[in-house]
Amino acid sequence: MPLLELGGLVARYGAANVLKELSLVVEEGEIVTLLGSNGAGKSTTLRAISGLVPNVSGRLSFAGQSLIGMKPEAIVRLGIAHVPEGRRVFPGLTVRENILLGGSNRRGIGRRVLEAETDEMLAFFPDLKRLEHALGWTLSGGQLQMVAVARGMMAKPRLLLLDEPSLGLAPLIVQQVFRIIAEIRRRGTTVLLVEQNAHMALSVADRGYVLETGSLLVAGAPAELWSNPDVRAAYLGGKTVAAALG
Amino acid sequence: MSLIPQLLFTGLGIGAIYALVALGFVLLIRAASVVNFAQGEFSMLGAYAMVILSGALGIPYLIALPIAVVLMAGFGVLFAGATYWPLRHRGQMPVIISTIGASIFLANTVLALYGPSPEVLPGLFDTPGFEVGGVFMDSQYLAIMVTATVMVALQFLIFEKTLLGKKLQATSQDKEMASLLGIPVALMILITFAYSAALGGLAGILVAPVLFVSVGMGAIISLKAFAANIIGGFGNIPGAILGGLSLGVVETFGAAYISVPYKDALAFGLLLLFLLVRPQGLFGEKIAEKA
Repeated sequence: MPLLELGGLVARYGAANVLKELSLVVEEGEIVTLLGSNGAGKSTTLRAISGLVPNVSGRLSFAGQSLIGMKPEAIVRLGIAHVPEGRRVFPGLTVRENILLGGSNRRGIGRRVLEAETDEMLAFFPDLKRLEHALGWTLSGGQLQMVAVARGMMAKPRLLLLDEPSLGLAPLIVQQVFRIIAEIRRRGTTVLLVEQNAHMALSVADRGYVLETGSLLVAGAPAELWSNPDVRAAYLGGKTVAAALG
Repeated sequence: MSLIPQLLFTGLGIGAIYALVALGFVLLIRAASVVNFAQGEFSMLGAYAMVILSGALGIPYLIALPIAVVLMAGFGVLFAGATYWPLRHRGQMPVIISTIGASIFLANTVLALYGPSPEVLPGLFDTPGFEVGGVFMDSQYLAIMVTATVMVALQFLIFEKTLLGKKLQATSQDKEMASLLGIPVALMILITFAYSAALGGLAGILVAPVLFVSVGMGAIISLKAFAANIIGGFGNIPGAILGGLSLGVVETFGAAYISVPYKDALAFGLLLLFLLVRPQGLFGEKIAEKA
């Protein structure tokens, strides 16, 4: 049984179908990446999985349990942590408080254990220990991304959903982020990664799916995807652009 | 008797009431984006609850007080269910209108039950007060100041030291992200409504011996809380406290040196002045919206 399974998933915002019968699977222990141009439905896929899109139909199951109709608060308790686009670090809370809150809703966990785990998490990420008492709004993009991932990992998820972790970061920081993603998987957490930076994403992923306007264009191993002309075309923003570029 | 310290004492006393109500007002703005025009009605209802419990039922003051405050917390949840919950996905304006409606409804319900003549609610102390260095320390004003200080300190402890406080803050800063972390957002908002109503009710009970308990007290207190909030900086917690205190002081000095009947006009003059000259209030913009 796959850890995560989407079968003919349809997601609607108002009258518009953003996902049109999307099917994909993520096996335990994998890093799977979702690629595609802007508006392909990558973020919507993650938002549908974590319960943020109210209007979803089709099959959506995690470890055999259907997630359809569940609230985000309940889904995170099943073991899915979502690090959303834009990092969404609480601006008026400190780095430490942000990270602490990531684990605060696990059942039967005391304050002392939570504080100790927060210390471990602060030590695991470069720079965060030093910034422990800095407020969220004072951080740089790279620091925000580290806090957001650390906060997500505090939920001890089986599946981590990462939305555009490299967006707006300097190349050196992007490499740091991807090293952390690889390390997270090495420690046993499955990762579903949405990225614009296809090169970096495919360098860490086991498999990738390419979406185009809410449906699946092609799926495969990184090497296959790289050599697929459709993928390159989709990546340049559609076939017309690719054709124009020759 | 020295007039200036005396006026300062009285001004801070009444200002502490405005600060308590403004605090409840601000918490709702932050947690639920609700600008609650029925905030003063919480104070009116708290005072009437005390009139019933301690006056009509004869329950001793110190037992009746916590009962009234708990009743008000419960009322806060009911209020949320009636005015906020059904409209929560419709944006800010419908909820604001619905709180104005609730304010009219509550005031007129009490008017129908109790009539227009004010009720008298005694304070906690029999002694009217004592004199220190030429300043008459009214016992009720002292009780108000002590209670307000304790409540502000308690709230600081809850918000800064407890996990519940952190969750409440996270909810007020980014509800969707809070829900992704498993924070029960709906419960956090209900807790804020309950706390805000309890705080308003407590303020109403404390101010009753000074102002009398009347149907009209809600509207006046609502407007003062709103003004305190604008003066301090919209949605700013320390600003609400400072705004409330300064409003009380300005009003009291104005009543003494200019004119008593124009006391409320002075408060709103100050509000208008801030809106014209410094609309962001004393504490400027919110940190929470910088990111």
